[in-house]
Amino acid sequence: MSSLLVISLAAAAVFAIAALGELLEQRAGILNVGLEGVMLLSGTFGFIAAKTSGSYLQGFTVAILTGALVGLLHGFFSITLGSNQVVNGMAIWILGFGLTTYIGYPYTGPLGLKPFPTVAGLPTFFLVALALAIAIWFLLFKTHLGLKLRSVGENPSVAEASGISVTGLRYLAAILAGMLVGLGGAVYSLVYNPVWNYNYLQGWGFIALALVFFSLWNPFLVVAGAVFFGVLWQLSLYPELLFPNVFSRYIWRAMPFVITIIVFIVLSTRWFRLRWGATKPEALGLAYQREN
Amino acid sequence: MPLSAQEESDERSVGAARARSAGRVVLEARGITKRFGTVVANDRIDLTVRAGELHAVLGENGAGKTTLMRILFGELQPDEGEIYLDGQRVRFRSPRDALRHGIGMVHQERKLIPAHTALENIILGHPKTGAILNLREAEREVSTLCERYGFRVPLHAKVWQLSEGEKQIVEILKELYHGARILILDEPTSVLSPPEIVKLLESLTRMAKEDLAVIPFITHKLPVVLEHCDRVTILRRGRVVAEMETQHATEQTLAAAMVGREVVLQLERVQVPLGDPIVRVQDLWVRDDRGLFAVQGLSFEIRAGEILGIAGVAGNGQEPLAEALAGLRPVERGTITLDSIDITHAPVLERWRRGLGYIPTERREVGSIPTFSLVDNVLLNYHFESEFSRWGILASGQARELTERILREYSVVAAGPNAPARSLSGGNLQKVILGRVLARKPRFLIACLPTHGLDVGAAEFVQRKLLEAKQSGTAVLLISEDLDEILALSDRIAAIYEGQFTGIVPVSEASKELVGELMAGLRRERV
Repeated sequence: MSSLLVISLAAAAVFAIAALGELLEQRAGILNVGLEGVMLLSGTFGFIAAKTSGSYLQGFTVAILTGALVGLLHGFFSITLGSNQVVNGMAIWILGFGLTTYIGYPYTGPLGLKPFPTVAGLPTFFLVALALAIAIWFLLFKTHLGLKLRSVGENPSVAEASGISVTGLRYLAAILAGMLVGLGGAVYSLVYNPVWNYNYLQGWGFIALALVFFSLWNPFLVVAGAVFFGVLWQLSLYPELLFPNVFSRYIWRAMPFVITIIVFIVLSTRWFRLRWGATKPEALGLAYQREN
Repeated sequence: MPLSAQEESDERSVGAARARSAGRVVLEARGITKRFGTVVANDRIDLTVRAGELHAVLGENGAGKTTLMRILFGELQPDEGEIYLDGQRVRFRSPRDALRHGIGMVHQERKLIPAHTALENIILGHPKTGAILNLREAEREVSTLCERYGFRVPLHAKVWQLSEGEKQIVEILKELYHGARILILDEPTSVLSPPEIVKLLESLTRMAKEDLAVIPFITHKLPVVLEHCDRVTILRRGRVVAEMETQHATEQTLAAAMVGREVVLQLERVQVPLGDPIVRVQDLWVRDDRGLFAVQGLSFEIRAGEILGIAGVAGNGQEPLAEALAGLRPVERGTITLDSIDITHAPVLERWRRGLGYIPTERREVGSIPTFSLVDNVLLNYHFESEFSRWGILASGQARELTERILREYSVVAAGPNAPARSLSGGNLQKVILGRVLARKPRFLIACLPTHGLDVGAAEFVQRKLLEAKQSGTAVLLISEDLDEILALSDRIAAIYEGQFTGIVPVSEASKELVGELMAGLRRERV
């Protein structure tokens, strides 16, 4: 039972770190639906780096840099070129999926490093996720930079008129988000399940994306939601631990995704929008072009 | 304008020095000319604003006010002419540049972030706002400003919860906090009830006395201007036609200068014998987009040959009411009947077939499709009628004929029936929309801000047509933010405040003061 919880928290760390990155950029108005692709790319490159060098540090560094680079790319398309951010994100996912399948193939198999150390029996990166949630909350709601970021996500033209560089802040958000999402990808491939396989991520990026909406753009609810999905995921793998002989295991396996879909249906109801809709950044996913 | 104790005493001595130099010129524009193609929007405009006085700029729509404002605010560059600040020649390359010189602008459309608090909006982007937000300190400074000028606004409320008047105050505070010394206000009175207008103008006067140059640009509400402003500059067709002290002016002279001819500020309202009640609304409750009840238990009826005017400040439930009546917004509780038939939940099309007509507020978003021809736009109100579509094929000849008739009868200036709607001016487009709906001979007509933004000529025309419709037996619901228009057209006036009627009075008993107080929620008549 307690081991179920620990492994759930390890899974929650992956969801939470990636979702916190996405939350940060969505607060600034940038939508990246290609989280899965970013995580695949950075997880794979991080895995290769760690495996060839034998160093976790190098693995994480490469993963974070990869994430930053993809964030920059997404920024370039959606900020500078003003293209459709959803289409862009899908392209990133397909690119990540294809490229990692091709590049990662020779490295198929276990990482072969000592297991990543834990802290007092808890997964280290779950504690990192908690710390990040606090840091991001503080950044968004207690600092001027955070106020500016949120303004850019709500109404870029008002922000611009208040002397804020919309372009600069959105790039900053996209790159920071890329770094966090990249870290999340590496936590999966180096710590949670350090065995490379093609499409090893199995849609976790999409769950992390759903989590951001699920959380109403609140970093603490991201962590809570991540724990919920972490437990759910483990249950889907080993349902007999808690509910022996209820449903077939195939139904359990589908559960996290079914719940994701249900969450999205609830989020798009009129009732929900009326009650909670004001929390969504108003300019989310919208390109901003300066006048004149 | 944060004040430490030290600065405050400085401020006082500066204020004293200023009082001595009252009348000193703060802002001067000389010979401002701006052309757009062949149109001269500003033609050698001179404007001199002195310290210590409230100086309004008056003009009709299209007189060049907006262009002048945008030039003063650095949004446009003049083709000719110079601007002097405190005697120094200045040139603004951008609005930010203008703000650096102490020019602040309060636009008509709000530049605030609804999801943030008032205070967050005010301090946003100010260099003094440190890396870590110190909201308590900021609140103290903003409160000082509020006290000084007599503003009251809940600083920790989210902006979307504020009234239009409060939002405007937040914008003024924002400009002051960011160091504006010259404040340009675009139609500051348009979103306020009469008592709120008086309060705002009192605050502005206080600001003007303190060496801030405050320049409201105003189209309507001449009496208030006369009462509170010291000096006015009047624009017409891009030129300054008069500059005068208000103590030497009357409402008539101001209006005549603005329009260029004697204006008859009277419409002939013919009383026709009232027929049966056409529309009956019982205890109507409607939610707005945020899910709050914007219409709270309204009940009224309108008879054939009657205009019921809804007087209210923008955002008190008029829009949701009109949309619910037109079938565009669900009704939560209550009933609507048209000719004794319950249409509370009837689809839009059924309402139209039963004789409803709707003139929406947004001429170009809801009232028309800008890229469509006028014929197609006219068809939007007729496509479901058998004369206009047989077996799903449009009778284009019919539609064209009808459009041509409308263009003729309403003297619309347009290239022809096939001209796209976007090529028409606001006034001409409104005439098409009006002609289109009146040609249906509606039993019940909802007219939302029918003359908003129109020049005097077009507005008069629209008003006459509404009176004609009434005389031919239509029940008209007139929603307007212009109290003069409501008083001139309505047979009965219902004042709306926060979704409720504060009074329904026959026009014979309605004075401007009474309706003004009802609109502001300061008093209630038994409804």
